[in-house]
Amino acid sequence: VSEHDQFREMIEGRALGSLDAPECAKLDAHLATSCAECAKALEEARWLVTQLVYLAPPAEPSEMLRARLLQKVRAEADAATPQQVARSQPAIAVWMWIGVAALVVFSAYSSWKAHQLERSVQSLTATLENQVAENKKMMESLVAAKHEAHILTDPHSKKFIIWPNDKQMPKLEATWHPEMGIYVTGWQVPMPAKNHVLQLWLIPKEPGSKPMPSRTFWPDSKGKVDLMVDNPPEEMAQTKALAITEEPEGGSAQPTSTPMWVGGVS
Amino acid sequence: VFLVALTPKVNDEASSDAALVRRLLRKDVRAFEQLYDRHSRIVYGLVLRILQQASTAEEVVQDVFWQLWRNASQYQEDRGPFVPWLLTLARNRALDNLRLKSERQRRREDQSEQLPAIAQMPEYEEALDERRRAEIVRALVGSLSASQRQAIEMAYFQGLSHSEIAAALHEPLGTVKSWIRNGLLRLKEGLQGTS
Repeated sequence: VSEHDQFREMIEGRALGSLDAPECAKLDAHLATSCAECAKALEEARWLVTQLVYLAPPAEPSEMLRARLLQKVRAEADAATPQQVARSQPAIAVWMWIGVAALVVFSAYSSWKAHQLERSVQSLTATLENQVAENKKMMESLVAAKHEAHILTDPHSKKFIIWPNDKQMPKLEATWHPEMGIYVTGWQVPMPAKNHVLQLWLIPKEPGSKPMPSRTFWPDSKGKVDLMVDNPPEEMAQTKALAITEEPEGGSAQPTSTPMWVGGVS
Repeated sequence: VFLVALTPKVNDEASSDAALVRRLLRKDVRAFEQLYDRHSRIVYGLVLRILQQASTAEEVVQDVFWQLWRNASQYQEDRGPFVPWLLTLARNRALDNLRLKSERQRRREDQSEQLPAIAQMPEYEEALDERRRAEIVRALVGSLSASQRQAIEMAYFQGLSHSEIAAALHEPLGTVKSWIRNGLLRLKEGLQGTS
C-alpha cells in the first residue's frame, strides 16, 4: 500500500469527523501539499456524509420557534433601516465641519475679535446642527412620504377598509402594494390601555393557519394612525384579512385579545 | 414598466437557495422566511437526533438560523451547494453543544474548522426529490451490517472518533475503521447505482 493510498483510506473518516487527531494531522498535512485527487475525494466524501442526515427521524420544530425567530429578525431589520438612511447623507456632516473649521481658523487670525467670534461660532454651530437635524428629519419624512405616495397611487396597490367591531370606533384604511408593503391610516383612534399597544395581524387564507404577527403601534396624541409595514410577514395573495388587537407592550406571538378591527383583503 | 420588467427576475431568484442567501445580505426578511420554511424541518430533525432533547434542539436551531441571518456572507455560493453547508453548520453546533466541557471538545476543535468546509456534489449525483433521496439513503444504510450501521451512526450522530467507537464496542480499532469506510463506500456505490 503506497503512502498515497494510506491517505485515501482516511478520507471518509476525515469527512465524518471521526479520525483520531494524529491521523487527522497527517492527512491535513498531505492535503496542504495540494493533492488535487485527495482534495476532490474529500469534497465528495463530505457530500456523502451530509446524506446521513436522512437517517434522523423526521421532526417538526414548534410554531413558537418560527414566530420567535422571525420577530427577532424583523426587529433587527427594522432597526437597521434608519441607520442606512442616516449613512446615506454624509455630505451634510462634512459641510458642517468645514463651516466650523473655517470659523475656528478665522477666530485665531483675528485675536482681538476672539470673544465675539467664539460666540458666533457657537451660534453658527448650533444653527448648523439644528439645520442638519431638520434636514435629516425632512429627508426621512420625504423618503417615507414618497414611499407612502407610491403605495397609494400605484395601480398594483389594493385598497380596503379595516372595520371596527365597535361602531363607536373609527374605521381604518389600508393600502397594500405587493412589493412595497402595507400602509394603514386612521383618525380619532383611541389610545390603548396603559402598558399596551395596538398590533397588526395578517390572517392567512389557508384553513387552520395561525395569524401572522406584524408591527405594533400607537396612535399619536390627536388619535392619528400612520403605520407603514415594509416587509409584511405574508404575501398579499395568501392573506385573507388584516386584524388589529390590543396587546401587552412589546407585542405578542399570537393574539391575546379579540380583534378590535378586521378588514378583508379583497 | 420598471416593476413589470423586474418581476420575472425576482420570481426566478425565489427558486434558488443561493439567490435567497444573496437577498439575506440585503436584510430581506421574506428571503429568510422562505429559507427557514424550506429547511427548518431537516435541520431540526438532525439536531434533535443528536441532542435527544426538544428544548435544547430548538435553541440550537434558533442559533443556526440566527447565524445565517447575521452572517449570510459566510456562505460562498461558488464553493458548494447551500443545504450541505447548512447541515454541516447545524451538526457542528449540535455536537459542540453535546460535547460542552468534555475532553472530546478539544479533539473536535483541533480537527475541524469553525465554518463548514466544501461539500461538492459529485458528478454521479442528480437532483433527486428529497423524499426519494431519504428513502434511498435509509434503504442503503439499512442494507449494511448492524455493526457497520452502528459505527457510522455513532460517528455521525454522537461525534465519536474511531478509537472512542472501538473502546465503546470493545472491537479492534482497525475493524471499526474498516466498518465505517466500507459502509460509506457502499452508500456511495448505492447512490451511484440509483442515478
